Amino acid sequence: MIPKEQSRKVASLRERMKAMFPFNWELLKHAGAEPVPYHLKKWWFCLGGTALYLFIVQVVTGIALTFYYVPSPDQAYASVAAITRDIRFGWFIRSLHKWSANFMIVAVILHMLRVYFTGAYRHPRQLNWCIGFLLLGTTLTFGFTGYSLVYEQLSFWGATVATNLAAAVPLIGPYLGYFLRGGTEVGENTLTRFFILHIGVLPTVAFILLSLHILLIRLQGVTELQFEGEVVPKEEQYFRFWPDHATTELMIGVLLMYLLTIVALIFPAGLGAPADPTQTPAHIKPEWYFYFNFRLLKLTSLRVSVVLTLGLGSIAFFWPFIEEWLSRRFRMPDAIPVTLGVLAFLSFLVLTIWESFSI
Amino acid sequence: MDHIAGGSLMDETSHTTRREWLASVLMGVGLVASYGVLAVEGLMFLLPKRLKPRTRLLFAGQIDRYKVGGVQGFYDLQGNQILVKRSESGFQAFSSVCPHLGCRVHWEVDKQQFFCPCHRGVFDANGVAISGPPAAAGQRLSQVPLKVDELSGVIYIEVKDAKRKQI
Repeated sequence: MIPKEQSRKVASLRERMKAMFPFNWELLKHAGAEPVPYHLKKWWFCLGGTALYLFIVQVVTGIALTFYYVPSPDQAYASVAAITRDIRFGWFIRSLHKWSANFMIVAVILHMLRVYFTGAYRHPRQLNWCIGFLLLGTTLTFGFTGYSLVYEQLSFWGATVATNLAAAVPLIGPYLGYFLRGGTEVGENTLTRFFILHIGVLPTVAFILLSLHILLIRLQGVTELQFEGEVVPKEEQYFRFWPDHATTELMIGVLLMYLLTIVALIFPAGLGAPADPTQTPAHIKPEWYFYFNFRLLKLTSLRVSVVLTLGLGSIAFFWPFIEEWLSRRFRMPDAIPVTLGVLAFLSFLVLTIWESFSI
Repeated sequence: MDHIAGGSLMDETSHTTRREWLASVLMGVGLVASYGVLAVEGLMFLLPKRLKPRTRLLFAGQIDRYKVGGVQGFYDLQGNQILVKRSESGFQAFSSVCPHLGCRVHWEVDKQQFFCPCHRGVFDANGVAISGPPAAAGQRLSQVPLKVDELSGVIYIEVKDAKRKQI
């Protein structure tokens, strides 16, 4: 007996391919034709896509780097040095990875500001704000664990300070610190843990969160905005995701590669002194995106700064729900969330700049 | 940056002018070229440099210690035996690895030939296979460069340097 499908003698190659991969291509066409509001032609509404593009750059360059990186205390530094100095284009791949990470954090922060100040986090998009906030945390953890892998003096002592900070979290802190370090001190276990977090756990978490984030955007549609005094002809109010918006994203991607290449050429990733567990350098500083926390640590006690960071972080995480509750209860004027947002961002900025100018 | 992706340019309904066509072709070529360069660099990053193996001279005894028709064995830095042979015409050095399947050959003084016990491969005094599977395949023992210092009366063989980390 011949299966029914095979009895059809001559089918076109196209038909045969379709049968081998029975996917509803019309569905994809439909999904691609998603109407995008006109304001997404402006680049500052594409910052989420910018972060996504940079994340892809991170994945590609990161996989390349793991071909040579050795996650053991006596070889980590030497392998990074080999990547930077000996391996063909190693300095370039590493510099791209480093700068793309920095760009990505900037993009995520700007994306968050855009979402906040356009009120795009409000009902029904509260959940996506929370997922986005988790993505911010994931990005920062990526930055921290990645920086620690270099195993130079600053990254070693940065890891020491940060794991001690984690250990100061109320209740779970001591366990968290012990778990992260794989012992009481930063050492062999810490490096392998950070490595597997950086290349295995965090990418998985980021991938899941990103998928949810994008799925929700697709299900709910992009927030539609009407700017004051702006008149848009009816036929220009929407354009198609594919190929119009995809082209925008592609162009932003090209611009980003251009910028990344320039900064990688002018400021290639360097290498400090190798980690020395017996000696803390005179001046230690984290990466710039942790300056605010570092300054907070200098201004207050360890306990206060940790509790403050956690508290403010939780408020930011739950903000869409908190705001809803507040406005129902007190009939809050619109100016208050905006003011709070400005204050929050300004204090982040002030603490960061303050720290960057102090020795 | 206001209208970075002109919707009208991509509209199927509108007629594509030559200028637009040229622009998109140039853009495509530019994109492929620039990402292509990056891909080549990435590929070069992933493929390690092929380093020319560094060699060093290894002491292989004094000339007067060799009888004509006699062989002495030395080990290179990877632990492979090198057979140094003196004949009427001078010195020759061979790797003891049989080209058939990697067994070790030894010198048979009485027959003046190298013999591989695994599959009965026989090589003449110049390392050319004369019997057994290596002869059928037309193989020979690989020769190792050798230096004779007449002044001090010392033989050196040129071997691969101790293994370095490949980068």
